[in-house]
This record gives sequence, C-alpha cells and structure tokens, in this order.
Amino acid sequence: MHGRVKIKSTAQQEEEKRKEKEKKLKAFVSARDAVLKKRSAGEHDEEALQLTRQLLSSNPDFATLWNYRREVLLHLETLREKDEVQKLYESELHFIEACLKVNPKSYGCWHHRTWVNTRLPQPDWTRELGLCDRCLSLDERNFHCWDYRRVVVKASGVSVEQELQFTDRLIGSNFSNYSSWHYRSTLLPQLHPQPFHSHRVCEEQLLKEYELSHNAFFTDPNDQSAWFYYRWLLGRGVCVCVCLELLCICEDTSAHPMLCVCVCVYVCVCVCVCNLDDLHVCVCICGRSELSVEKSSVLQAELQSCNQLLELEPQNKWCLLTIILLMRALDPLGHEKETLAHFQTLKEVDPMRSTYYSDLCSKFLIENTILKMEYAEVRVFSLSNKNLTTLCHLDQLLFVTHINLSSNQLLRLPPHFAMLQCLEVLEADDNAIENLEGLYHLPKLEEVSLRNNQICKLSDLESLASCTKLTRLDLRGNPVHRTAHIESELSQLLPRVTALSL
Amino acid sequence: MGTQVKDVVIKPEAPNTLLLDKHADYIAAYGSKKDDYEYTLSEYLRMSGIYWGLTVMDLMGQLSRMNREEIIEFIKSCQHDCGGISASTGHDPHLLYTLSAVQILSLYDSINVIDVDKVVDYVKGLQQEDGSFAGDKWGEIDTRFSFCAVATLALLGKLDVINMDKAVGFVLSCMNFDGGFGCRPGSESHAGQIYCCTGFLSITGQLHKVNADLLGWWLCERQLPSGGLNGRPEKLPDVCYSWWVLASLKIIGRIHWIDKAKLRSFILACQDEETGGFADRPGDMVSSLWNCHIQFCICIYILHVISLGLAILYTELIILCGTFLPVLYISIQVDPFHTLFGVAGLSLLGDEQIKPVNPVFCMPEDVLQRIGLQPDLLN
Repeated sequence: MHGRVKIKSTAQQEEEKRKEKEKKLKAFVSARDAVLKKRSAGEHDEEALQLTRQLLSSNPDFATLWNYRREVLLHLETLREKDEVQKLYESELHFIEACLKVNPKSYGCWHHRTWVNTRLPQPDWTRELGLCDRCLSLDERNFHCWDYRRVVVKASGVSVEQELQFTDRLIGSNFSNYSSWHYRSTLLPQLHPQPFHSHRVCEEQLLKEYELSHNAFFTDPNDQSAWFYYRWLLGRGVCVCVCLELLCICEDTSAHPMLCVCVCVYVCVCVCVCNLDDLHVCVCICGRSELSVEKSSVLQAELQSCNQLLELEPQNKWCLLTIILLMRALDPLGHEKETLAHFQTLKEVDPMRSTYYSDLCSKFLIENTILKMEYAEVRVFSLSNKNLTTLCHLDQLLFVTHINLSSNQLLRLPPHFAMLQCLEVLEADDNAIENLEGLYHLPKLEEVSLRNNQICKLSDLESLASCTKLTRLDLRGNPVHRTAHIESELSQLLPRVTALSL
Repeated sequence: MGTQVKDVVIKPEAPNTLLLDKHADYIAAYGSKKDDYEYTLSEYLRMSGIYWGLTVMDLMGQLSRMNREEIIEFIKSCQHDCGGISASTGHDPHLLYTLSAVQILSLYDSINVIDVDKVVDYVKGLQQEDGSFAGDKWGEIDTRFSFCAVATLALLGKLDVINMDKAVGFVLSCMNFDGGFGCRPGSESHAGQIYCCTGFLSITGQLHKVNADLLGWWLCERQLPSGGLNGRPEKLPDVCYSWWVLASLKIIGRIHWIDKAKLRSFILACQDEETGGFADRPGDMVSSLWNCHIQFCICIYILHVISLGLAILYTELIILCGTFLPVLYISIQVDPFHTLFGVAGLSLLGDEQIKPVNPVFCMPEDVLQRIGLQPDLLN
C-alpha cells in the first residue's frame, strides 16, 4: 500500500494493462482456491509446498499460507530422518531468502525464518548473520532485519564488542544511521553494567561515545541521529551530585553532603555531615535538568565543542538545543540569559516546533525560579512576566501560600494545580486562561485575581465553588462579563465571595 | 551543507479543501467491484479493510451507506472454533483481525453475534510468560499485539482476564533511549509501535510511566518542512503517520507541539480529486518537470520566431508537441487505509466537518461513549 504510483497513459496502454491484470487475477484466484481446497482436505504434501511457494513468492503477506506451509513441514518432519529434515529446512531457508529479495519488509517472511531456525537440527548462525549483513547493506533502516539480527546474536552468542564494531562500520559509512545509534544505545549498558544504576554507562566508555557522536555531527551537523543519541548520552554518566542544598529537610545550612544517590532527576538522597559526630540522611532537591550532573570538566569540554560548532553553523537547531541542555546541567542560573537568547533563536530557525521550545523554556524558567527559592521564602512564589506557556513542577510548590503567574501566555490552570493545598492567594492576570480545572478543592484559597484572561462562560468558573474560603475574586477584562445576569449567577454559584470585581 | 532532508514537495495546484463527499463515494464503491486486482490481493487483511472503511464512513456520518447485514454475516463466518477471528473466510485467525472484528461490531452495536467468551479465551491464551502477546498460535511477538489484546478486551469489558502487571512490564521493556517504543525489547522506535504502546498504556492506566516530554519531542520532530509527518528519522512523510504520530501526541498531551496548519495542508494535498480517497503522499514532482519542459519549449519557440522562417517553426512545433504530449504524468494511488488515517488525522486537528475520533481506539468518540469507555489521556 505504500509508495505506489498511478501512471496515466493512453487509452490503448490502459486496455493492455487491464487485460494483463485480469490475467494475473485469474491466475491468483485459481491458485489460491486450489491451495485452500487442499488445506480443507487436510493434505500435507509436496504439492502443498509447491502451490504455497508459487503464491508466497509474490504475496508474502498472505499469512495463512505460511501457516499452512508450517503445518506441512511439521508433518514431513515426522516422516523423515534427521539429515533429511536438515535438508528440508535448509531448502526452506533458500526459499525464504528469495521471498525476502522481493519483499525485504514482510513480517511473515522474517517470522517464518525465525521459526525455521527453531526447527533446524543444526542452525547455521554464521550464515544467518551474513544474511543480516547483506540485507542491512542494502537498507540500513530495515527494522525487520535488525530485529532478526538480535535473535541471531542472542542464539549464537556474538559478543557485545563485536556488535559495537559492526555499528561503528555502519555509522561511518552511511548518513541514515539512526538504527545503528539505537542499537548502540542497547549495547552500551551491557558492556560494563553498573551495580546500582543499570541504565548508566561508565565514564571511559562514555567519553568514547562522545567522541563518536562528535565525529558524526561535526562531519554533518544535520545528522539528526547523532544529536538524538548525544542528548541521551549526556544523561548516562555515573552520578556525582552537586547538591544545591536549597531544600534540605534537615534545616541545617552548615551540612555538607558526603554521598549522593540519585533517586530520580530531581531528588537525591544525601548523607550529610552536620557536625563531626552527627551523620544523618536527608532528601535534597537538586536543581538539575534531565541531564545528570557529570564531572563538571567533561560537560564543560562538551559545551566548548558545541559552541565552536555553533560559530560555524549559527542556525543549527540541534546544536542550539544541545547547548541549552549542557548549560542547564552545568549552571542553570548562571546561564539563564544565554539560554533565553538561544530559545529565541531556536524559535526563529525552527518555527514548526515553536510551541515545543516555548513549553521547554517555560519548564526551565520554573525550575530556575524554584532553585532561587530561599528556604525562608518558599511560601511566596513569583513567575510573572516569563512568557510561560505551560506550568509544571507544581509538586515542588506544595508549601506555597502566594503564587503570582501574571503576564504570561497560559491557557489554563491544569488539574495538577489542585496540588497547591496551602495556596491562599493566586494572581494570574494578563494571560489567556480559559480553563480553571485546576482551581478546585483548594481549602485555604481566599483571593483570586484573573484580570484580562479568556474566561467566557459561567461554567468555566464552576470549580471555584469547591474553594470554600474564597472571598475575593477579580474577573475584570474577561469575556464572561458580557453574559446576561452574570453578577447574580455568580453570587449564586459563589455565595461566600464578598468582593467581586467584573 | 551535508545531508538533504528527505521530504516531498507539495505542488501549488494540490487540493486544499476537504472533499468529504468524494471520499464517501470512493469508500462506498470500494469492494463492490469484487474482481478488482488490488482488492482480491488484499484479502489477507479484509477484516481490517472493512474496519477502515466503516470507521471513516462513520466519522463522515455516512455509515448507513455500508451493507451492515452482509458484514455481520461475514464476521460470523470468520470466527473459528478457538474463538479467534480471521481476516476472511478460509483464512486463519489472528489477533489483528480479532480486534478489527470487535471494532466493527462495536460500531454496529452488535457484539453478541459472535461468541464473546471464546474471543476472550482466545486473547487470554495468547499471553506469554513474559507478559507479551503472540499474534496467533505460531508465536510472533510484537507490541502491536499487546495493543490488540487490551483494546479487544477493553471493548468487551474484560480487561481483568489477563496478567496486567506482566503485560505492562513487557511493553515498558520496549521503551528506548529516545522515549519511544519498538516491536520487541531492543527494537528501534517507530511511530506505529509508539501509537500501539501509548494506546496500551492509556487503556491500562499506566501513562505516567511514559516520559512525555522526551517522547513528545521525538514525535514532533517527525514533522518535515512539507508539513507532513514521517514514522521515524530520515524517512519520507506518509499520511498514515498523521494518525499514528498525532494520536500518540494526543494521548500524551503534547499535540500542540505540531504545526497544525502545515499538517492539515499536507493531509489535504494527499487527496485524489478525481477518484476520491487519500494516498500516502501528495501527487508527485513530475508535474513540475512538466512545467519546466513547457517553459523550455516556449523559449526555443521564441528564439525560432526571431531567427527562422515560419514554415520551419511550424514543423518544429509539431515535433515539440509530438514529444511531450505522451509524457507520463504521475499521480497517486489511493486506498481505504490512507483514507481513514487522513480523515482521522484531520478530526484530531479539530476539523468540525468530521466527527471527533478517539485517539486510542481510532473509532468515533460517540461509539466509545455508548460503550462507556473513556481511556485516560495525559494533560
């Protein structure tokens, strides 16, 4: 169904084509009917193999025929000696290979080959690996073949190193090599498995991988596969956490973290020393991005390389995005200005993904604001005027009593907003908010300002009825004020609100 | 400069309005000419073909034009003793066609014409030790089949019969470095598989296990300069990915990361104005070759007018006409598969002429509401 083209030509050529198709169709139908008739009669003989061979060569997706063929082969197995069975299935492999030449992407063919190898008294994995090599040299992105290769490698015990070398060769020779990079990503963790973090890669190997990726995107900065892989690599190292101590529960600002185990991207369990004879465990929230923190010098070197590339290719979106991620891993607050500038450039050079970049930038700005929070002032949180298009990390604001979201580009207060159970005052003026789903069951919420938003109907405000302490509500500059009898409707919906501005 | 981006070029004359009536006529007539070559050769997937046709007709509000009784009888004749359902009469049962049959019967609110308990047993029996699902008794494992299994059981209200934890564990073991999913553990990420896995995780209430930001980025990078979507990096765009990529994005709450206007233009350009229906990609570049040819000939003509006599010019013109009139121009081949996914994609993009489509099941939302199925989506 894919990649088919209709060619218009003269009436005569049309007629010739029609006649030819009719002939082909007749042949197909009679062969198909003959096969299915034989099968209903329970016949498992050579003729069945011949008929199915004829049909499957040009119709390898006709799955029922492969099933029938397997039934015949299984039956013939019972009638023959081991060496004849070996020959029977080897001949089958030849047949499958012929089918694969016609259609290298047929699920049926590849599965049948896998099945045949389970029936072969002596499978020849070297030959199978050779088949994979040949097939991949014709089409390096054939995922059927890659999947089959993984079966062969597992069955025959080919080493991880050998397979890594194989991907080395392919990556070096072909620009469309995402499949090879992907394979590498599955091989690396098998090389030197880390005890606690099965998905991490040791530093020595990581440095080799950085170099491999560099070679790829310095040769061709538009080789997107290498950039995808590189982004993943930057998160793989063994974690040495630079704990920012900002939200350490032990409340002792003289504590020095001794050891950090990263539980997830944002949370580390640190063992801190408060004074010489007092060791305790605290949970610290580290301001890290999706990248785990490497030994700083390694990341610094990476950043330098990418900046060099950016000088040569100032409009390369992959480079820009990667630099942003590196800067965040190294020093999110220190690099904030540069990060914002790069995001601006990104939106210009890759406008199709502007909303992605806006959301990502919003996320990073919220993270930075969280980082800047001093323990004493964790209750008041301002995110005003930051071009925010989305809200996130609300789970880190559970103690906030005052939040300012004014002058952004928010379209809604999402359901997670209801997590802010300590919230007393919400300022969200000058956005484009039309949906207040997240403003429900906030037991301490007293004051809400939503001036100049897009609240249109009374029903948009229904969730507020569950906020039983709400007394002050400012809705000036919203389309809802045009609704008939809005004041009386609102006083019915929200009887406890005493100061209402429309 | 380096690599060129693999993409198509949409010609300016490509269709840019939605030709719903033409598509309805195309589907209604499809398969009525049972001696059609492509139709007969695709018998091995007939059940899915019927599901594609019926679903797109229902989305266009034209389901009544299809032959309900004939289809229901056909489905009954395709259920085997083991409970599984085949693509057509005389073919073997398989999970793919079992799902399609259950989807069709759900559209028609006639699920009880088949033995539902046997279907449930069949699906349950295909779950393996590691939680994966085989497609049939011959043992091919693929996350597509995990999706088929849970979607079938969800439509029948029988999700509880399988080992849910193991099923989820298997699908999650297919998650890759880029946040995407492949056929089996270790397989490369592919939009079709991602649709199946995010759909699976939605049905099983496990969407929180997805790295939505990372996967959303990979998915929105499927959009090419033409506005169309490909299925994985360095591949050509195809209208069916307007469904698989878009539905996945909708499920994980990141559909706004796609340039909707450009995608809509691409999908509309894949229509065939003559026959109705959608093809995998817009009409081809040969037309622009045609235009260049004409311009070249006109230049020669002008030169000749200036430098030579009219008689010679006349002869030249005949020769020129003779050479390029029979030049082939290549247009596109439509089919019901791409027609469904083009229309369903447009529905997800918000086209109000089409019924809302459910991104997990690829069925009209009103059908799922009737059944009472509202799988979770991420915000």
